[in-house]
Amino acid sequence: MVSDLAAPRQTAPRFASLLGRFAIAGLVAGAASGLWSMVVTERAIAPALALEEARSAGSHEHSAELFGRGTQLLGGFLGTVIAAVVFSVVVAAVYAGLRHRLPGRSDVSRVAVLTAIGFAVFALLPAITIPANPPAVGDPDTIDARTAIYIAVLGAGVVTALLVGALVGTLQARGVHPSAVAAVGVLVTLALVVAMVLLVPDSPDAIAADVPAAVVWDFRLASLGQLAVLWTTLGLTAGYLVDRLARRA
Amino acid sequence: MTSAQHNPTRVAVPRIAVPAWAWALAMLALFALYLVAQDNGAVLASAGDVAHEFFHDARHSLGMPCH
Repeated sequence: MVSDLAAPRQTAPRFASLLGRFAIAGLVAGAASGLWSMVVTERAIAPALALEEARSAGSHEHSAELFGRGTQLLGGFLGTVIAAVVFSVVVAAVYAGLRHRLPGRSDVSRVAVLTAIGFAVFALLPAITIPANPPAVGDPDTIDARTAIYIAVLGAGVVTALLVGALVGTLQARGVHPSAVAAVGVLVTLALVVAMVLLVPDSPDAIAADVPAAVVWDFRLASLGQLAVLWTTLGLTAGYLVDRLARRA
Repeated sequence: MTSAQHNPTRVAVPRIAVPAWAWALAMLALFALYLVAQDNGAVLASAGDVAHEFFHDARHSLGMPCH
């Protein structure tokens, strides 16, 4: 067959093997972004913690800390690893279900597409609608409202990805020219994201006057960088491992 | 250009059989992440406070809302 010469042999790996590859990639991604959290994000958190301490010293309030900074750093690393492994397990199930519909000729490019969407929905979208804040900013009374906004943004992001994906698939199936499909996909995505930015309420927390803008900005950049490292490492590692698995199967 | 010119480059990729436990596992993993990251004593009560403080940096740096 002619097509065998043009394209690599396409096989369907077993789900359990696929899950194992994604879990390994999740551990690697967690370790990479966990290191980022200890080296980069920690330096952005330190000034915020100093602010919190200065405040409690000023009010003569005795705040008993449950853990020292060293233990919390370890918790930051472990929490990041757990989050990365959880993402990898969820991405594995979604990837298995969507693999035959994702664009790309190899698993490297298909995994890259899915993890890029994951980064966009779970990191970039929250970063522009309800951005991360360092310690010393949050108001405990608004945690429920902020959590609801955060979950709603993630849900809206997933719905947007599914809608645009279905639209692109439909247009492709009707034989619309690829550049027209790409243009429509980009425009619809932009329109939905702009609508979300306009419609989603801002975080109810006002950033206190004693928190310098630079502290918040550095922290948000560090946080976005940490998530970028997580999703990029997950995508590249899982793509490489799953591609090898599919070629061997 | 017509679709006929593009279709030959689109190789049919076989479906992967996704077992039902895959989705159950994904849900369980998300719930575990909720316990680690988001629970403010709602499910874990006092143990939640310990988890909250221990994973405090991860919550903040992964962009999850925190107290």
